[in-house]
Amino acid sequence: MRRSTASWGFWKTLRATSRSELPKKAPRAEKWRRAMHLASFQFPLPVLSSAMLRKRAAPQETRMAQGSPLSRLKHSEAANGLALISPTALYAILLLAAPLLTILAYSFFKDGYLTVIHEVTFENYKAVWTDPIFRAILLRSLIVSGLVTLVTVALAFPIAYFLSFHVRPDRKSLWLFLITIPFWTSYLIRVFLWKVILGYNGVINSGLKSIGLIGEGQLIEDPLQMLNTVGAIAATLAHAYAPFAILPIFVALEKIDRSLLEAGQDLGESRVMTFLRVTLPLAMPGVVAAVLIVFIPTIGDYVTPELIGGGKLPMVANMIQAQLLPLDNKPMGSAIAVSAMAVVALISLAFVFANRRYLRGPK
Amino acid sequence: MNTRAPMIEFQDVHKYYGEYHALRGITATIRAGEFFSLLGPSGCGKTTLLRTIAGFEGISSGAVLIDGKSMENVPANKRPTNMVFQSYAIFPHLTVAQNVGFGLRRDARSKAEKDKLVEEALEMVGLKGYGPRAAHAMSGGQRQRVALARALILKPKVLLLDEPLSALDKKIREQMQVELIKLQREVGITFVLVTHDQEEALVMSDRIAVMFEGEIAQLADPETLYRRPNSRRVADFIGVMNFLPASVTGEANGHIQVEAAGLGAFEIEAAQASAAPAGGQASIGFRPETLTILYEGQTPLDRETPGTIEEVVYYGDMTYYDVKLDGVDVPVRISMRNVFGRPVLDIGTRTRVAWSPGALVLFR
Repeated sequence: MRRSTASWGFWKTLRATSRSELPKKAPRAEKWRRAMHLASFQFPLPVLSSAMLRKRAAPQETRMAQGSPLSRLKHSEAANGLALISPTALYAILLLAAPLLTILAYSFFKDGYLTVIHEVTFENYKAVWTDPIFRAILLRSLIVSGLVTLVTVALAFPIAYFLSFHVRPDRKSLWLFLITIPFWTSYLIRVFLWKVILGYNGVINSGLKSIGLIGEGQLIEDPLQMLNTVGAIAATLAHAYAPFAILPIFVALEKIDRSLLEAGQDLGESRVMTFLRVTLPLAMPGVVAAVLIVFIPTIGDYVTPELIGGGKLPMVANMIQAQLLPLDNKPMGSAIAVSAMAVVALISLAFVFANRRYLRGPK
Repeated sequence: MNTRAPMIEFQDVHKYYGEYHALRGITATIRAGEFFSLLGPSGCGKTTLLRTIAGFEGISSGAVLIDGKSMENVPANKRPTNMVFQSYAIFPHLTVAQNVGFGLRRDARSKAEKDKLVEEALEMVGLKGYGPRAAHAMSGGQRQRVALARALILKPKVLLLDEPLSALDKKIREQMQVELIKLQREVGITFVLVTHDQEEALVMSDRIAVMFEGEIAQLADPETLYRRPNSRRVADFIGVMNFLPASVTGEANGHIQVEAAGLGAFEIEAAQASAAPAGGQASIGFRPETLTILYEGQTPLDRETPGTIEEVVYYGDMTYYDVKLDGVDVPVRISMRNVFGRPVLDIGTRTRVAWSPGALVLFR
């Protein structure tokens, strides 16, 4: 990302302006400006400074706009937009795209003992897709995240609906605030708490024992085996991702013009039919967003299968971790990761495509 | 028309929102096949009243009858009414044809027949061939037509229109007014229109109910409403009315003797006095077009009063003059049609104003 000419001008002025040249008793605005100068000197912030100087540089820009195509590009809105997102974009490229590309590259390399042989091969993918264990684990991951998505979205919808249609407008932000309370605790701790709840001597079992449902000669002989089941993993993940599902659905419901619901009833439909024919289709963009937000991260969840599944019900992330770290087969682990990513991407795209008729229209 | 059967009857309808008394004893009858308007300033309860017909708003006491049947506990979807919403409430996820055919789902007819009905309804509102278009891509005027077609396709007994024209610009609004009147005559359905635009109500309606603060102030046909408003408030709300302080000096044999500032003493018929006594100072009211400025050589048909022109507002087809009648502090507004050969007078011109006691209304 190149700096715009405006900020070049700024940099030149900055170099010319040493601290001593500034007046001793600076007014407040001047002090702030000076602080910004110094800050951007020490931490180059071309974006910030160009945005701040845009106003002052405006006449110059107008002149430049008639210049060469390059200078016009530099002063176009697109360039300004890119300048604004550049720190985030840079960060994302470094920490997301680069590792992804590395993984992609590794997946085509050969594994040597304790080394990676930099030769292009498709052997890893062949091995992954012919491996029955991989297929079983991928299937389990899909089932778990499918189940989690279904449960989460199905439970989130009524909450979002209640929030949007039955909560007084001035109380809505309070409710939203309450819904985000689970985020006050770390994800890891919440997963651990489910272990406490579902464990052999956990909250549920001891609760049932205390009311006499579990014990010798009782309705249930042995404490319930809840940990290390797919159901337990699903319950934990569904709880963790509930707010992520509620919020997009709530936003979609909020956007529905209430007179549309009256119109539905006015045209002879009951409340239930109006919901099915008007509210639900209009809420679909939110539902699609909720499904993707829950489905995509849960399929790659590592912590919950490890802790709640007890390591006995690995999901795809656990398999990748095993290949990459304990088995030190980086190319194989990378190939599994890329394969899983491709499957998730395909399913997500298919889902979006299947719901495309709800996703167009005015925004 | 007076012999037509009642379609909607309000019997002492009250509506409270908590402490707020929104409808204060509405009793009125809307006849079958008439174009009825609820007119009033915002917050007067006209929309609330319309929504009690549609069933979106319950009533606190009283009764609403449609076609002789009480609508108590009848939900909106079971009422023989359809509504054109102020925002049009066009379903954005459906096409124009799907919008228009929305209410036909439970209709027993075949799909082909329904499609034909939709096409006919679209043709009726001038949107032939627009069926497959996305509803959200339509303009304001077109949405309005879609909303109309969607409501009329169900052949309701009553069509409710909640300020349907307020969002349109002036040209399209006037065009739609004429189209709505034609449409209403064509289909013969009872139309109930809510509007705050007095001109719109006068143009379109067979009868108008003027509402203030949850009460009907006057219910009459447009001409009566305009010429014989029953209170100063109604007179003020509909069009322009001049008021001059007056006093009643005598009353006998259906005639009232009045003395008004600037106009002197004269006699009017008892029917010209507003029914509702206003209390306090009586006043005489008259519309700007009932007075005429006399040019040189013209003689009045009835009476004349001298005055001075204080202000001239030129409108193209009309000129409005503010004339200070001799002996009156407040100027009265007089409108004159700018017919060929009639010059626009200047401010300060001494003039004679012709008037007739027959055009006056007495508020007391």
